[in-house]
Amino acid sequence: MSRARIQLQPAWVLKASAYSDTSLLVEAFTPSHGRIGLVARGARTAKSRPRALLQAFRPLLLSWTEAGDLGTLTGVEASPAAAFEFRGETVFSGWYLNELLLRLLQRHDAHPVLFEAYGEALAALIPTGERALRRFEMTLLAELGFGIDLPPDLDPSLHYFHRNGEEPVPGAADAEDSYSGRTLIALRDDQLETVEDLRAARRLLRGALAEHLGTKGLSTATMLRDLRRSLERVPTPGSGS
Amino acid sequence: MNNYSPRLSRLIEALRKLPGVGPKSAQRMAFHLLDRDRAAAEKLAAALGDALGGIGRCKTCRMFCEDEACRYCTPARRAGGQLCVVETPADLMALEAGTSYRGRYFVLMGRLSPLDGIGPAELGLSVLQEVLLEGDVQEMIVATNPTVEGEATAYYLAEMAKAAKVKVSRIAHGVPMGGELEYVDGGTLTHALSGRTPA
Repeated sequence: MSRARIQLQPAWVLKASAYSDTSLLVEAFTPSHGRIGLVARGARTAKSRPRALLQAFRPLLLSWTEAGDLGTLTGVEASPAAAFEFRGETVFSGWYLNELLLRLLQRHDAHPVLFEAYGEALAALIPTGERALRRFEMTLLAELGFGIDLPPDLDPSLHYFHRNGEEPVPGAADAEDSYSGRTLIALRDDQLETVEDLRAARRLLRGALAEHLGTKGLSTATMLRDLRRSLERVPTPGSGS
Repeated sequence: MNNYSPRLSRLIEALRKLPGVGPKSAQRMAFHLLDRDRAAAEKLAAALGDALGGIGRCKTCRMFCEDEACRYCTPARRAGGQLCVVETPADLMALEAGTSYRGRYFVLMGRLSPLDGIGPAELGLSVLQEVLLEGDVQEMIVATNPTVEGEATAYYLAEMAKAAKVKVSRIAHGVPMGGELEYVDGGTLTHALSGRTPA
């Protein structure tokens, strides 16, 4: 079998986990090869230089040889752009994007548009927060072929039913799956600003994604809730618990 | 495939569970123990059984410990009022061997990583919270690794310490001893520069 050699492709690490005794299994996202699994041999030894670079949210140039499902990493270089350093809860937003890609993309499916959207979403996480997540989810669904169809003639004063895969139809405001025209227009034009619009957009997209994620929920979201709860539980010292 | 007798193949399979041991080395180890050094084999079997029965986890620092009183949670270490949080037992050993720090520890046994399913429960954060609320700790030193996951963990540890009104510090990261700036990556240099100390 011929082994394709790929040189210095732009890439993001989505996840790197221990693999055999001294290696790492790197799940990476590239524009022309999509999501790929690469074995970084010896990356967990003391003298490994690539290990420091093989971090999420850091733009990289990867070289590898392709053979079957898993490739072998042959080179790592930092791309000139700086790595994103997310503080606090923002890192969970970044992990959330990674988890979506890990769960929803098939290996070796090229997604150049999504690759660009991922970089833009990471850059927008600190300034625009949730809005960046919703925008990425819209692009992701469209790239997977399940785009949300929001026609240009929505009326901001009406309410609409939304069902996955169908165009929204006007309906009652209090029904389930009902969204205000204003929210849908804001979502369509990437103009989500108000808390209500953001919350409604999250509800809509969560429903749309759930259809493709199967029964297992996203662990990033669950864990963030757990952490928030565990911090809230802290009694102040001296208050008698 | 292999023609080992049942007991021998069980031994070889068991030896293969050790890190870095493949089928060939496992066979060599098994033959050595059975043929050349049966006394050592007996010693190994006894030591393994003894260790499994006698070594547990300390309830307050989560490090391996033998007796009821953990050697890293002594009253003398408590008196200093410092608590150092590390990811693994190996990190604790490195700090003990390489530094003069002789305070208490807390071993997380991992770091926050939702994509691997490691969260607050796996890291024993509720145990740490209780330790912080006891009031003995004046300063918590966060010594998680400078990776994305390690930094996220450090952030949550700091939030916990602040909520418990405990002073919190983070170990410095930057240019290694004997290193050369030319060969240090940009991220590390950025940290080294932003975390500079008055000389």
